Amino acid sequence: MAAAPFKRILIANRGEIAVRVVRACQQLGIESVVAVSEADRDSLAARMATRAVCIGPASASQSYLRPELLVTAAAGTGCEAVHPGYGFLSERAQFSRMCAEAGLTFIGPGPEAIEVMGDKLSAVKLAEEVGVPRVPGSGRVDNPDSARAFARTHGYPVLIKASAGGGGRGMRVVRRDEEFISQLAAAAAEAQAAFGDPSLYVEKFIERARHIEIQVLGDTHGNIVHLGERDCSTQRRHQKLIEEAPSPVIDAKLRQELADAAVRLARHVGYVGAGTVEFVFDDDTQRWYFLEMNTRIQVEHPVTEMVTGRDLVIEQIRVAAGARISFTQEDVALSGHAIECRINAEDASANFAPRPGRLQTWVAPAGEGVRIDTHCFSGYLVPPYYDSLLAKIIVHGRDRHEAVQRMQEALGRLQISGVPTTAPFHQQVLAHRDFAGAAVTTRWVEETFLPSLKQAGAA
Amino acid sequence: MSTELTHSDVESILKIIDAAEHLNEIEIVHGSFRLHVVREGNGNGRSISAPMPMAPQASPPPSANNAPAPQIVAAAPAASTAPAEIPPGAIAIRAPMLGIFYRAPAPGEKPFVEVGQRVKADDTVCLIEVMKLFNSIRAGVDGEVVKICAENSGLVEFDQVLICVKPSKG
Repeated sequence: MAAAPFKRILIANRGEIAVRVVRACQQLGIESVVAVSEADRDSLAARMATRAVCIGPASASQSYLRPELLVTAAAGTGCEAVHPGYGFLSERAQFSRMCAEAGLTFIGPGPEAIEVMGDKLSAVKLAEEVGVPRVPGSGRVDNPDSARAFARTHGYPVLIKASAGGGGRGMRVVRRDEEFISQLAAAAAEAQAAFGDPSLYVEKFIERARHIEIQVLGDTHGNIVHLGERDCSTQRRHQKLIEEAPSPVIDAKLRQELADAAVRLARHVGYVGAGTVEFVFDDDTQRWYFLEMNTRIQVEHPVTEMVTGRDLVIEQIRVAAGARISFTQEDVALSGHAIECRINAEDASANFAPRPGRLQTWVAPAGEGVRIDTHCFSGYLVPPYYDSLLAKIIVHGRDRHEAVQRMQEALGRLQISGVPTTAPFHQQVLAHRDFAGAAVTTRWVEETFLPSLKQAGAA
Repeated sequence: MSTELTHSDVESILKIIDAAEHLNEIEIVHGSFRLHVVREGNGNGRSISAPMPMAPQASPPPSANNAPAPQIVAAAPAASTAPAEIPPGAIAIRAPMLGIFYRAPAPGEKPFVEVGQRVKADDTVCLIEVMKLFNSIRAGVDGEVVKICAENSGLVEFDQVLICVKPSKG
């Protein structure tokens, strides 16, 4: 066996991803030091790791979000590298830089790549430089005529947006020429009230949008490979709930187009490590647009691992140590279908309110084609300080139908008591004809599925 | 009559301080309790440079006794630093932050304190360094140093016992 890429790694994260990275370290013969807050002293990752170091109080702002504590902990325990996981400091260029200055290898891309992709405008600009389109948008729109001209070029419907805005305020969908006069006035008034700035622009409105992302991997030798796509269209308020691979709505030609675009973009920034290029896919026109690039391992990475048989976290660690990606593009073959459901400690009937608490019972299903990534166990206290993710159930089947069946079986065998979870929600979504028919769009949960549940409950 | 501040009292105080925009430093004295908070200029947050004689902490949940997840293979001890024993009658000065522990103001200089030495509450007993930022740790209580529990220039974890002081009577 080849020598371990590092002797010892600090894991600057918690929950299931910390457990995931500890496992990868064990497989590679690397010692793991997991940084824990006071609330996580007794976590599964802390018990499994070679060592745990308490970096601060429970609040993330005083522990997991403090780069100076994590760098000190890594250096003070003799680590050579730092794995940031996802969330927390994983996409802070400054953390990557501080690690480098302390002589530690940051397991992820360099600060420049994080910075340029972290800024929405610069990322879109880079994408356009390599011919990767974004959702068409106008410049500032002052009158109905210029808005109409945009809409005629790109087609209805279009979305009026506030230049200063965000969060849906000042947004208006326009479907016909004659609607512009009243809708522009209303949107300008709303934008003025919300942001103190009435400036507006117009964007192509994608009515039936699917979220499709491409997994890429780069090494320090200039190699970039992709590992196919993940379809994460089942979302609620931009939070992904179910992810699957391959996407049920694209064919081989579209897959190749998306993958080529992602690889071009990654190559353009000299990308090193695991990254994800996200696209909006218009299910009506079959056109796709660049959304953003995430410069870290993603929550839903196991879906890709199940259909490719590649271990992304191990590759991440190896390339960080300067190794070449252990396979070539030609070696990447997609096999079968994988689905992931995120099991959160949330009450779906109470607007998905987080519900931390003690897990009285925790029995996770096991079996052929079933993988559970979790940090939970019977008696574990789900702390109130962090996100509500308890586990990811990932299944693999020969085809989508078998994968859905396996997931239903796995969800049925999951036994959790002590906190409410999103497992029943997943069972209902998977049983819905829209999910079976791949008709789910990114607004489906909020606009179609949840209202239908409410109606059924009232009837 | 209970005048002891509980851990949650302290957390509430810290929250109020965190929320205050123009506050850079505050010192609160309440009976034997003294809280000294300094907010660094670079927004690095605060450092608590006095030990907090806190109400007894709730012991960690005994989840280790419950059935662990079946997939744990090699369970290593969660904390590799065994908790230091606090001599009877002594008060522990704990690390208010993770960092590198220094007994002396500079290499080669005399340590701030030695076992047997008498200290005043305001005396600096050690330093903790977090990336070139040195935090003075005060005794927090008048008394006699009875034990030094951390190793010079080694990493100390958050809340780790550094030094034990037997408080003076009266």
